[in-house]
Amino acid sequence: MEMVEKLTLITPDILLFVGAVVVAVLGLSGSRTIRQAVPLITGLFLIGSVVVTQFVYADPAALESSGLLFPKIGGYVKSLTGVVGLGLVALGTGTVDRAYERAVASGSAAFDPLRVVRGEYHAFLLLSLAGVMLVCNATDLIWLFLALELSVLPTYVMVALSRNNRRANESAIKYFFLGAMSTALFLYGFAMLYGATGSLNFIEIRDVLATQAAGEAGIAPFAVVGMGLALLGIFFKISAVPMHVYAPDVYEGASNPMTGFLSIVPKIAGFVAIIVLCGTFGWAGREQITAAGTTMVQEGLPAPISAMLWMVAVLTMTLGNIGALLQKSIKRLVAYSGITHSGYMLIGIVAGTENGTDALLFYLAAYSLGNLALFGVLAGLTRMGQDIESFDDLAGLWRTRPRMATMMALAAGSFVGMPPLIGFWGKLMVFIAGVESGHVVLVCVAAVNSAISSWYYLHLAGVPVVRMSTPRSESVTNGPRMAPRLVAVICGVGLLVVPVFTTPLYEFARTSMRYGELEEPAARSVASPTTPGRELDQG
Amino acid sequence: MSGTPTLALAAEAVELINPRTIQICLVFSALLFSIGLFGFLTRRNMIVMFLCTELMFQGVALAMVTFSRMHLDISGQVFVIFILTVAAAEAALALGLVVLLYRRRTTLDVGAWSELKEC
Amino acid sequence: MLSPTLATLMTSAGESIPGGVTPIPEAAREESLAWAGLILLFPAVSAIICGLCAACRVRNRLPGWTTVIALASSFVVVCLLYGQHQAGQPTVIHLFDWINFSWGDGTFESVRANFALYVDDLSIFWMLFVTGLGTCIAFYATEYMDDDRGKGYSRFFAAMSIFLLAMCSLVLGDNLVMLYLGWEGVGLASYLLISYYYTRQSAIDAGKKAFIMNRIGDLGLAVGIWLIWYNFGTLEYDGLFQALNVYLPIADAGNLPGTEIGQPQLGWSAYLIPWFLMVGAFGKSAQFPLMTWLPDAMEGPTPVSALIHAATMVTAGIYLIARTYPIFWLEMEAGGYALATVGWIGGFTALLAATIALKQYDMKRVLAYSTLSQLGYMFMGLGVVQTFGACFHVYTHAFFKALLFLCSGTIMHGLAGQLDVRRISGLRMAKGWKVVTWCMFVGGLWLAAFPFTAGFFSKDEILAQAFVQKGPGYRALGWIGIVTAGLTAYYTFRVWFRVFGGRTLRIEPGPEHHGDPSSFHPHPPGWRMKSILILLTIGCFAAISTGYWGIGHWIKGMVDHSSAAWGMPLHWEEGDIPFFGGDPHWTMYFVSGTFGLIGLAFAAYFHLINRRSAERLDELFKRNFITNLIPRTLERKWYLDEVYNALVRIPTYLSAKFFYLFDRLVIDGLLVGGIARIPMFLGRVFQPLQGGALQGYATTMAGGVTLVVVWMIWVFLQKGGG
Repeated sequence: MEMVEKLTLITPDILLFVGAVVVAVLGLSGSRTIRQAVPLITGLFLIGSVVVTQFVYADPAALESSGLLFPKIGGYVKSLTGVVGLGLVALGTGTVDRAYERAVASGSAAFDPLRVVRGEYHAFLLLSLAGVMLVCNATDLIWLFLALELSVLPTYVMVALSRNNRRANESAIKYFFLGAMSTALFLYGFAMLYGATGSLNFIEIRDVLATQAAGEAGIAPFAVVGMGLALLGIFFKISAVPMHVYAPDVYEGASNPMTGFLSIVPKIAGFVAIIVLCGTFGWAGREQITAAGTTMVQEGLPAPISAMLWMVAVLTMTLGNIGALLQKSIKRLVAYSGITHSGYMLIGIVAGTENGTDALLFYLAAYSLGNLALFGVLAGLTRMGQDIESFDDLAGLWRTRPRMATMMALAAGSFVGMPPLIGFWGKLMVFIAGVESGHVVLVCVAAVNSAISSWYYLHLAGVPVVRMSTPRSESVTNGPRMAPRLVAVICGVGLLVVPVFTTPLYEFARTSMRYGELEEPAARSVASPTTPGRELDQG
Repeated sequence: MSGTPTLALAAEAVELINPRTIQICLVFSALLFSIGLFGFLTRRNMIVMFLCTELMFQGVALAMVTFSRMHLDISGQVFVIFILTVAAAEAALALGLVVLLYRRRTTLDVGAWSELKEC
Repeated sequence: MLSPTLATLMTSAGESIPGGVTPIPEAAREESLAWAGLILLFPAVSAIICGLCAACRVRNRLPGWTTVIALASSFVVVCLLYGQHQAGQPTVIHLFDWINFSWGDGTFESVRANFALYVDDLSIFWMLFVTGLGTCIAFYATEYMDDDRGKGYSRFFAAMSIFLLAMCSLVLGDNLVMLYLGWEGVGLASYLLISYYYTRQSAIDAGKKAFIMNRIGDLGLAVGIWLIWYNFGTLEYDGLFQALNVYLPIADAGNLPGTEIGQPQLGWSAYLIPWFLMVGAFGKSAQFPLMTWLPDAMEGPTPVSALIHAATMVTAGIYLIARTYPIFWLEMEAGGYALATVGWIGGFTALLAATIALKQYDMKRVLAYSTLSQLGYMFMGLGVVQTFGACFHVYTHAFFKALLFLCSGTIMHGLAGQLDVRRISGLRMAKGWKVVTWCMFVGGLWLAAFPFTAGFFSKDEILAQAFVQKGPGYRALGWIGIVTAGLTAYYTFRVWFRVFGGRTLRIEPGPEHHGDPSSFHPHPPGWRMKSILILLTIGCFAAISTGYWGIGHWIKGMVDHSSAAWGMPLHWEEGDIPFFGGDPHWTMYFVSGTFGLIGLAFAAYFHLINRRSAERLDELFKRNFITNLIPRTLERKWYLDEVYNALVRIPTYLSAKFFYLFDRLVIDGLLVGGIARIPMFLGRVFQPLQGGALQGYATTMAGGVTLVVVWMIWVFLQKGGG
């Protein structure tokens, strides 16, 4: 574990740190041109980190000495984070301190570096994304904790900054306090895990747990409960039951681009953390070489954890759906829809196989793309200088802005899982992974929920077409910047086009989860598990 | 895996680890955490609420130290340092936010901030 | 006697697997031919360019020429591919992965449908005339659509490019998913082009009708494809054929696969596949009862009618059956009647459409019904196990029908939309119409199967086989075909004699002429239209030799080296029935030729020599109620639309009403009021949890965490940590 080689893998993250510093400084510049170039520079750093990721993760020496549970997972997740980050930067252009900039431009306010927040906003954005990327490189619980905190702390500030009104403040304080509570929760879980295994290092934890499981007494109860608490704490990031209650309020209070950020980025971090944590139990049927050099077949998630995840997945998708049915505000609806999708994605974890996590990683990309398209529309339109939030604002959108209405319909279709769109493939793969591991009831629940969800998603797609425009909706105009609408169009078209590349994308996700195992394509059939996951339907 | 340095303790030091002590420390850490959680759920002053989260963190830190001692493994204590650091960072953030909110409503009562809800 | 198909096979197929079935060769994987992907790429690029032109409201001829060049390039690539192709050796050219899932190594443990091309003689043969004719007709359309520049010109050519792209995917795809993709793609293009004049209500209705009727067929195809996967575990042709290689010899030996122990198992649903595929084919190729959309599709611009609704798209059904012929064959060996049904539906449609064409006055509609009728012949050919005849007829028909449509297009173009045969006469005497006159004459001869034309040979191939092949009532089917041949000659030349014949030039301008009718002068076609007409006429002549004489059994070789002929047993019983005292393949020339000439003579008498007599005959019929029924019924197309209306639309409407009420009372009243309210109700139950107070949320979270942890501990106590 050479330090230099260990650092190689986090070059993309370091690049983002450098970017954060650069952007923070440039954002304070007195020159308007430079201040306006900040999003562009942020984007360049993100592109750079995506490019660097490709090279870094092609370096076998670095992967070999990484000491990671899943050495290659960062290749996929960092690329995804970088690309999503690009979209999010584009969503946010021009919305931050717009009024102040205008005042400075018109001469009605003097330039005051302390009041300019664009640089900070983008620096925080980069820091948060760097946190997500660092989660992939967590070798131990300390690193995981720090990376998760790094990904989430800046977002508290970003929510508060995103809009200059009470609602944003309220959502920031709710987000912060509940986030701190969840942090304490998963830290306590970490402590118990540490107590039960005597190590903070994931690979050591894995070996200890495997030894315990093979022994007479089984896995220590402390380890199970600790892992449960850790997962529950991290559920805050993916807004899964019971840690989901904050989501609707926080999403509603934040500005539209920020909501887009909240609905995607913490989820990526959370799910990667969950994969890594659950990975210490190993995936069912996978052969593992312990540090001691002996080979053993992993047993997969222990029954209590699996049962807990099963229950949480069912509750998450169901309660998310139920909540969404009643919504009149699009942003609350998106919050509940995000909760529901977390439920679907949890199937990939419950499956307890590598196929499940592959499907989950794929689903993350599909979900991010859909959300970017949706928020591109929401952030690209404005009603008298305000964000559009209600369904009433969308009435008759089809006639005034057919392109935006189409993109919205595409995003909704992808969320429902309509066949040619990418959302369908994501759901299909997750469901297949679920059925394969024997969780038929869970997949059935998900399918029923999917059907129920079409109710409100069709509403989302249908309101712009069916409902006649009102004076209120007629006052909706294009936002001041084109970038969000461009994101909407690109991602909307992407929802249609990316399915063509389903296989390469899925392969990317697969190989990222299976370092050292899938070097030759012939090993593909390894995917099928020898022991199906435990049937929990009676439990 | 040379990354986890172990405490090179003298043989007599090992004997000092009493299971009873460890139990007491763990119960105390659980109490700290619970008190923090209880305070967090019941106190309405935002600064007190924040202090309660700090209390929860300290509970975790105590558990970490205890386990570190139990396993004779120093990494748990390293973790505590990081927990303290992050807690400090959160404190800075929390105070900033609280000041911001106080300026808007001139109250520290968290109940004043319940505008966003299901309608 | 052996069918000619088999005669070639006997000599060409070297080895045969035990059981006397010609094996279907395994496809070679050829990565070096990846440039063949350009065939699909060119139309795709052209579609994008034309789409951009439409978006940017380009007013020049750029989209037109882009399309022509793209299609011509595709044609060239197809020709090059043909040069590289080894006869009798199918090749799979993998372009890139698309759907590629596997969850094991077994047959049924993967779903694969990649972007790959299955190149064998049949697909190359189809591609040659699809891209070739496509290029010609796009070239023709650059002039025909000239008036629409700046309006729908770009849209038109974008849809044409999409059509060609989809058609290439349909024909060249190496799996049924690509075929389905192309199938839907051509349907979409067809819909877009039928409704091209979207300001006309009739065009919109026709587009909708075509779309809906095709959906019925597509459902059949989709189910068929699913059943193929379900039974054979693969969607790729190569895998499917290799699986069939196992079953066909067993079926040939007289056993149903799966009935004896130790045999490979094949479920009963495998024998349903042909029936579902058939429905798909009938929908796309407009056979009874899914036929009425095609005549209405003539609302589209004429080049579209020529390319899509006569020459290429409607033959997709023939292609589908020819491609999956071994499955049909398996079903027939198992004692099923799928092929017989195909043959009979084809024959029935041929006769029905021919009778309707007798009394139509709209030139394009006559041609549309003749298309139905000719497609019927092709299905008849497939049904009586004469795949070569069917494919040969597809080929000749593509040329002469495209020629006829393009000729009628020039008339429509030059005469301000006039197509009524009663309002045009003696057009041959007008200035500048010589080429059209004689090109249409040639097309008519070919359609009427005048002796020694290509249409004559291809049709006789099918008709003769009907008398040779053993099957339910195939002899009667043959006679239906012969009678239809006579009717075809009559209605074809009825049009030609009416429009071009006659002693004086008399033209009434069509609905698009606004002004004094007396000042109307037809404007003759320009060089681009004329050159294409002449080119297609040459093609018609060339078809004679490529099909039968001269270059030798070119098409025959192509068809026999493909799945349309493979997998058949080497020996099978044929009814060796002399027809008029000789080999049907020989005597048929005389019989069908005679019938054709009789039809032609009638047409000449009633519509050229003594037109008054036709009117007198008409009046004679009209005098009596009973006899009046005949012309009226034909004029109203056997009341098919009305019958469908009564059978489908009215019940649908009524059931819609019923379900509306059901919906209002039961669904809305009971379910939404009850079951569907449950989520809403639950939502309201959980709403207080979202009361807005921060600590309320925190309590919910903490409570939830406690409950979950308790649940976890309970499971732990039940099952342990393992």
